[in-house]
Amino acid sequence: MSITVENLTHIYNKGLAYETIALEDVSFTVPSGEFIAIIGHTGSGKSTLIQHLNGILKPTSGEISIGDIKITDKRVKMVDIRKRVGLVFQYPEYQLFEETVYQDISFGPKNLGLPTEEVDRRIRKSMQLVGLDFEEFAERSPFELSGGQKRRVAIAGVIAMEPEVLILDEPTAGLDPKSHQDILNMVEEVHRETKNTIVLVSHNMNDVAERADRVFIMDSGKLVKSGRPQEVFREREFLSHIGLGVPQTTEVAALLSERGFQVPEILLRADDLISFLAERLPAGGV
Amino acid sequence: MIRDITLGQYYPGYSIMHKIDPRLKIVAVMLYIASLFIVKDFMGYVVVVIGLATVTAISKVPLRFILRGLKPILIIIIFTFTLNMLMTKGEILWEWKFLHITKEGLYNAVFMALRLVFLILGSSLLTLTTKPIKLTDGIESLLKPLKRMGLPTHELAMMMTIALRFIPTLLEETDKIMKAQMARGADFETGSIFRRAKALIPILVPLFIGAFRIAQDLALAMEARCYRGGEGRTKLNALKLKRKDALAMVFIAVYLGIVILERIFLIGLDAKIIALLF
Repeated sequence: MSITVENLTHIYNKGLAYETIALEDVSFTVPSGEFIAIIGHTGSGKSTLIQHLNGILKPTSGEISIGDIKITDKRVKMVDIRKRVGLVFQYPEYQLFEETVYQDISFGPKNLGLPTEEVDRRIRKSMQLVGLDFEEFAERSPFELSGGQKRRVAIAGVIAMEPEVLILDEPTAGLDPKSHQDILNMVEEVHRETKNTIVLVSHNMNDVAERADRVFIMDSGKLVKSGRPQEVFREREFLSHIGLGVPQTTEVAALLSERGFQVPEILLRADDLISFLAERLPAGGV
Repeated sequence: MIRDITLGQYYPGYSIMHKIDPRLKIVAVMLYIASLFIVKDFMGYVVVVIGLATVTAISKVPLRFILRGLKPILIIIIFTFTLNMLMTKGEILWEWKFLHITKEGLYNAVFMALRLVFLILGSSLLTLTTKPIKLTDGIESLLKPLKRMGLPTHELAMMMTIALRFIPTLLEETDKIMKAQMARGADFETGSIFRRAKALIPILVPLFIGAFRIAQDLALAMEARCYRGGEGRTKLNALKLKRKDALAMVFIAVYLGIVILERIFLIGLDAKIIALLF
């Protein structure tokens, strides 16, 4: 399902002395089935932006459409928005509350008013998607699981609502490197399997470079740049100016170019860069 | 959403009122409350109003902030007013079935309602001009004599300080959890009271777990810095009485003196004036 955002502005505490502009005139469209990444450092408005996409925050001005539904319309029912847009917050494991993993994942689908068999089907499907064995985990308490497992349960709770747009706010924050990769691979897997639209919020360039179709860069409430990762990460100076870096591979390629070693095109995947360099370097190492 | 609730009503400022020793302010408020019960007629209220107005003007807190403190107890004020008006015996002004309003009732009702209003206005000035942390510091210092009787004053004050400190944190946490559960389709706004109460479980469980997590982290952090209670502990900002505090003491003494003198010599004067006017 596509996302259309037009001239979205959000002002916190409007009219008070301490009003702050969190979003200023943000517009973009995401076609159905695309994987996009939103990047920006803390306080750039990423979280505020995504909370608008499923109606938790209302814009001060501007319009948002998900598919053919204008969600900024007052008459739209919240449940219709939440059926379409799933939002995984930062540290989602802190929202777990049920006695068993099964019951916790069922919370979302049940709120959608689905019949029991359908809820059961979705729980099994989502647990499989996030890589939790049904037999092993369904009846366990979510509070006795490890950090990475808890997070999978929380993400499964949103995936089980089968949203056509899945938004994840820094889903890897605070995880160890292995869980970090696992969660990202899982998101990719979900994307491949369900063909849904993904919006991934991150400030880690490396995560985004290899996976996203397009990258949106946010800075102090504005959408300052968008495009394919290859295009966006070409602008190293601009990115470092607003406090962001580029992926490690891009950095290496750029540094090599500066020293006269021609790296023809921007290379984002570490493997691509390695094989490119391997071809050109004299045998036996540098 | 929930974060919009203004908590603690401290109004930041640099007036003399803000700088006066918190212990003195607490004692002053107690004396002020006592003075409201010394006063027995409207002439006394004139003194109270002058005192209150002077202090308010010095504090530089906008009047609407002070008046906002009345909102939560409006119902109590109306209740007191109505009850006093209808229940006092005396010269009847108006009657309907078993209900009657008397002259004395009206006098009492206005008098009692004003007493409540002054009570709240005066004490809210304390919280408006004193940071919660300073307030607990003051309370700890004032309770010191009770320490000899075995009351753990430092610990009590520390508990209060921590509780105050974590109110905003817990509110933020609640806001986050609410949003997350809303994203999972939770509905807190519709349905019967029973349904709504049940809808709170997905908020309360994570909130409690979060509160325990925070408490544990804090306890560990305090222990890591060798916190071991109040014995022999010194303070960065030790409370010391200064010159402006002496001035404040004089002000309170004068105020209290006038209130007492009014009570002794001018009592009943307002009744005569009212009688003259009507």
